[in-house]
Amino acid sequence: MTRRTVGQTLMAVIIAAMIAIPFFLPGEQWVNLVSLILIWALFAIGFDLVFGVTGMLSFGHAALLGSGGYALTVLTLSYQVGFLPALLAAAVMGALLAFCMGLFALRVSGLFFALLTLALAQMVYILASNKLRALTGGVDGIPGVPRPDLFGINFYDNRNYYAFIVVVFLIGLAVMALLRASPFGRALRAVQANDTRASQLGHNVHALRQSAFVVSGAYAGISGGLLASLMFYISPQMLHWATSGDVMIMTVLGGKGTLLGPILGVAVFELLKEELSQVTQYWYGILGLIFILATIFLRNGIAGLFHGPDDQDQGGAS
Amino acid sequence: MTAGSLSCENIQVSFGGLKAVNGVSYDFKPGLLYGLIGPNGAGKTTLMNALSGHAVLSGGRVRLDGQDITNLSVHRRTRKGLGRSFQITKIFAGMSVLENLQIAAFAHRHRVQPFWLPASRFAAVREQAEQVLEEVELSALAHRPAEYLSHGDQRALEVGLSLLSEPSVLLLDEPLAGVGHDQLEKAIGLISRIVKGRTVLLIEHNMDVVMQVSDEIVVMVQGQLLASGSPDDIRGNAEVRAAYLGEEA
Repeated sequence: MTRRTVGQTLMAVIIAAMIAIPFFLPGEQWVNLVSLILIWALFAIGFDLVFGVTGMLSFGHAALLGSGGYALTVLTLSYQVGFLPALLAAAVMGALLAFCMGLFALRVSGLFFALLTLALAQMVYILASNKLRALTGGVDGIPGVPRPDLFGINFYDNRNYYAFIVVVFLIGLAVMALLRASPFGRALRAVQANDTRASQLGHNVHALRQSAFVVSGAYAGISGGLLASLMFYISPQMLHWATSGDVMIMTVLGGKGTLLGPILGVAVFELLKEELSQVTQYWYGILGLIFILATIFLRNGIAGLFHGPDDQDQGGAS
Repeated sequence: MTAGSLSCENIQVSFGGLKAVNGVSYDFKPGLLYGLIGPNGAGKTTLMNALSGHAVLSGGRVRLDGQDITNLSVHRRTRKGLGRSFQITKIFAGMSVLENLQIAAFAHRHRVQPFWLPASRFAAVREQAEQVLEEVELSALAHRPAEYLSHGDQRALEVGLSLLSEPSVLLLDEPLAGVGHDQLEKAIGLISRIVKGRTVLLIEHNMDVVMQVSDEIVVMVQGQLLASGSPDDIRGNAEVRAAYLGEEA
C-alpha cells in the first residue's frame, strides 16, 4: 500500500467512526452536531467539484444552498408536496439557479467569476429578504419546516432524522466518488490544469464548467433542504455571503481537490465552532486565525496530513 | 486517415493598432509538409492561432476541406480534424503521462464525457492512449507525473496529445523549441513519423531541420507572406535572405 492509500483509508475510517458515534452515544448533542456536519459536508463536496476539481472559485454557493432550502420549505408548507419530491425539487432548484448563474458568470474567469457569483448571490439574498417577502417570509424567515414523512417512521425524533441524513449523505458521497473518477471528472481536472489545452483536444470547456456548476448546485440544493428541515426553520441567513465564505474555508481547511478532505474540514470547523463558542464570543476570530495558520502550514489541508505532500487525489474512488 | 486541405483567405489579426497578421492568403494542399519561417515577430504563431481558433480575426476566412470554419470554436475545429501543438508546453500537470493522453482520447471519442463509469473501465481509450504513448516513445514513463518529465520528453508529450484527435491537418508550433542537441535526432525522427498521411504546418527556427523535412516553405515577414516555394527555391531567394539578414534586397 502506498502512503496515499493508507492515508485515504485512515480518513475513511475516521469519517466512518464519526458517522457511527451518534448511534452509540446517548444524548442529543452528538446527534445534532454530526447531523449538521454531514449536511454541510454534502454541501462542501458539491462545492469542491467546482472549486477543487474544476478550479473555479465560486462565491455564490450560499444562493444555491438557500434556494434549495426555500424550495423544500415552500413546496412542503404551501403546496403540501411530500418530503422526498420536495427534496428532489430542492436539488433541481439548486441546479437550475446554478445554470442561470453560470450563464452570466462563466463568461468571465478567475477573480471576475468569484465577484460575479458573489454579486448574483447577493441579488438572490436581497430578493428573498425583501422583494419576495410574500413567498419567503422576508428577514423573519419561515418556521415549521417539516421533517420527512416515510414508512411511518417518526423523523421528528432527531435520531431517526439523523439516519435519514446519513443515507442521503452516503448516496451523495458515492455519486460524487463516481463522478470524480469518471471521464467527466478527469475532464474537469484537465480544465483546471490547462483549459487552453483541454479545448484544443476537443473538450467543450464551457459546457464542462457549466455542468460542474449545475451538479454542484444540485448538491447545494439538497443540503439546503436537509438543513432547513433539521432546524425546522429557514431564513435569508442561509443565503448570506458569509455562508459562501464558510464553505470555502471548510473546503480549504480539509483539502481542496480531495474527495474526503472537505468532510474532515467541515467536521473540524463545526467542532471548533461548537467548542469555542461555549468559551468565548470571539470564536469566529479564533477560527479565522486557525484558517490562516492552516493555509500557511497545511498547504493541502487536513487531507495533506494523510496523503503526504503530493497534492490532490487522482479522482480515485476512495 | 486522409490528409485535409486548409486554406486562408486574406486573414487579418490586429492587436490594437498593430496588424500582427495582415492579409495572408494561402492554400495548404493535402499531404504536404509546410515549413512556416520568418524572423521573430513576423506573425507566425499568430497566424497559427488564427487557424486553430485561438486568435480573433479582424478579417478573412479559414476553410478546412472547403468548409468555412472561421466562426467555429477551438474544440469544434479539433473535432473537424484540425490538430495543434503549442510553442509553450501545455500539458496537464498533476497527472501522469498516460492520464494526459487518456484525457485527449476521451475528448476524441466522446462528445459528452461519460460520468456513469470510472475512467479506468474504458479499455478502448486506454488502448488508444497507449498506442500514442508508444508512438512518441514515452512508454517507459507512462506513470510518471507529466510535470516531472525532462523538457525534451514534455515536448514529445505535447506533440503526442495533438495526435489523439486523429487530425487530418496538424499545426506544430516549434515542436523542437528548447530540445537539446542530444535529443534533437530523436525528436526529428518523431516528427517525420507522425506527419505521414497528414497536412502539416510547421513553425521551426532550426533552418537545417526545416529545409530537411519540408515539402514547401512559406516565409512570413511583418505579418505578410513574403515568399513560398520548395526549400531550394527559398534558399536561393534574395528577398528572403534580405529579410533574415537585414540587407536591402
